[in-house]
Amino acid sequence: MTDNGRRHDQVQSFRKLREESEISSALAEDTFLDDDLLRQLMAVGEVDLLVGIVSHGNASTTTQAVLAIERSFQQRFTRQRAVIVDAYGADKDQSSAASGPSNVPEQNVRLADSLSLRTIQRVTADFAVPPSPGLALRTILAAADLLRARACAVVSPGTTNLTPDWIAKLLKPAYQDKFDFVAPLYTRHKFQGLLARNLFYPMSRAIFGGGIRELYSDEWGFSGRLATDCLNQDVWHEEHIGSRPEAWMAISAMSSDFRCCQVFLGEKSQSATGSGPDIVEVFRQTVGSLFWCMESRQSEWLDREKSEAVQTFGPEHELTSGPSELDRHRIFEMFRSGVTELEPILGSILDSETHAEIKGLVSLEEDNFRFPSELWVKTLYDFAASYHHAVLNRDHLVQALAPLYRGVTFSYLAEHSDSSPDEIEAVNEALCAEFQRQRPYLRDKWKVKVEVKS
Amino acid sequence: MRQTILQGLEQAYTNLVRMITDFLPRFMVMLIIIVIGLLVAFLFKYILRAILRLTKLDRVSEEAGASRILRLAHLPSMSVLLSRTIFWVTWFGFILIGLSVLGVAGLQEQISRLFQFLPEVFVGILILFLGLMTANFLSRTALLAAVNAGYPSPRILSWSIRFVIWILAISMTLEELGVARQTVISAFSIIFGALMLGLAIAFGLGGQDLARRSLEKYLGDSKKEKDKEPQPL
Repeated sequence: MTDNGRRHDQVQSFRKLREESEISSALAEDTFLDDDLLRQLMAVGEVDLLVGIVSHGNASTTTQAVLAIERSFQQRFTRQRAVIVDAYGADKDQSSAASGPSNVPEQNVRLADSLSLRTIQRVTADFAVPPSPGLALRTILAAADLLRARACAVVSPGTTNLTPDWIAKLLKPAYQDKFDFVAPLYTRHKFQGLLARNLFYPMSRAIFGGGIRELYSDEWGFSGRLATDCLNQDVWHEEHIGSRPEAWMAISAMSSDFRCCQVFLGEKSQSATGSGPDIVEVFRQTVGSLFWCMESRQSEWLDREKSEAVQTFGPEHELTSGPSELDRHRIFEMFRSGVTELEPILGSILDSETHAEIKGLVSLEEDNFRFPSELWVKTLYDFAASYHHAVLNRDHLVQALAPLYRGVTFSYLAEHSDSSPDEIEAVNEALCAEFQRQRPYLRDKWKVKVEVKS
Repeated sequence: MRQTILQGLEQAYTNLVRMITDFLPRFMVMLIIIVIGLLVAFLFKYILRAILRLTKLDRVSEEAGASRILRLAHLPSMSVLLSRTIFWVTWFGFILIGLSVLGVAGLQEQISRLFQFLPEVFVGILILFLGLMTANFLSRTALLAAVNAGYPSPRILSWSIRFVIWILAISMTLEELGVARQTVISAFSIIFGALMLGLAIAFGLGGQDLARRSLEKYLGDSKKEKDKEPQPL
């Protein structure tokens, strides 16, 4: 090689080094990710698939989930470059022996039945304390954006029966069929998930147009395109995103014309640790988040009628019935006392006619009690409009809905004690149509100029 | 004698004319100050109202529960109330300045005392208003939490909280105004102490079962309670 040629090579390599250094420093300045995570991500390079997992120091469940993901990559995505991003933060009260990102060896565990031609990378985003779901998702989205992943999924180690098949089902629609958001569908007991069935699904379908049944789920898939879009939204400081970001992501996809689909995963079992959040906490996180999404995205739904069916892979619903130990009397009493005790608060939220109808329900006996779907829809639209007009502290407003939901729950339990899954589905479809029918009522209430009474 | 009477009358007339000529310009100055004050007060009122509308204070006030208190007291909305207050405070200030120009003996001293007392009045009103707002917010928080947890008599709990904060706010306001300071502090201590003692005795003796149930609910197996309702999600 001549001197000139050698010098040219040196110049080229110097330029390359300088470019890499500039990219690293630009990344370090632009991103919220810490240096250690950035270093790990830069070592990975570009990937096709990314699965994010949020482990809270529970090594056994995390290990199980990581193994399921690795098996899925090794058996179903043999040619694709894949990475697992573990957003890990140890619980302070857990012993050090039990905690750790996972017990799976860092570099590839090549299983006996592995067909993979690629190295599966694993990256750990180590947080000093368990990250909020919002921060964990943001980290995963930032990783997906940096690695230019084509298809991504988020899974929860809390789901104890996570299988390689589930991972593949969540990733394939985004990777092969160019879907941008992949929502899961589970087998449900007919008396479980009533908030999702009576509120989130029909209301989000009427307002944002998509028919995603599981807005709040622990597992979902998405495209790299949607990851970048969501990452660039200026919402990460919002409280609702911090606690339950999944519905916001689904609504972002539905309202921004991203392609959405649903995949049926089967029955889901969750780890029995902890008693789960109580109903008020669930309301604050989920209903509050839905109302906040309506508020922040009003320009996208208020004057736009959109009702596109969402493609579903597998059965659209699967309900099981069996014995349930629900205390119906207690639920009814809590509805009744709630409506009576919260009368002034409900009076400031609800339309006077709606409020009068609800007060009329209180006088009914348990045997004759039914909460009409028209009234339920009107109630929810009144709450959404009052949330928008901030007639009350918004956190209080959302909490005031819980007793009314209990009334609907009691009515549902009484009405469907002997109903078949198809009958329940037909009633749910009618509820969706009612939400759609009363949409102009919401629009009018939303747009009305509220003058503060003097 | 006639001459003396005429001289006295002339003297009185001269004095009257002197007094009028001395008083009239000052009265005119006072009137001018009051009219200017009126214009300035109107100007302040409209500027403040525009600023408050831009900052959407009424919405914030509605959200914080302050508007409800105002409605209960038959008062207008927060922005109207504040702009009216600024109008009257400004105009009242100008009226007092105008009156001091008259130079009436004794009046000036009273006016200066009134000016010294004004800040305390404002602080007192502010304390009272913040106290009422806090009472409203916390009592509503307690009411919602008690209703949703299924506790008996949630309104009593809510009203107790509201009542205690009201007493605290009123006591602080009176203390700020310097009204019977010692009496107010003693009265507050007695009422507050009696209320707490009463609640403790009532809860300890009359509500043993309730106390046990509440403790079981807080410290026991909360999962069983939650399982009585269908899983919402």
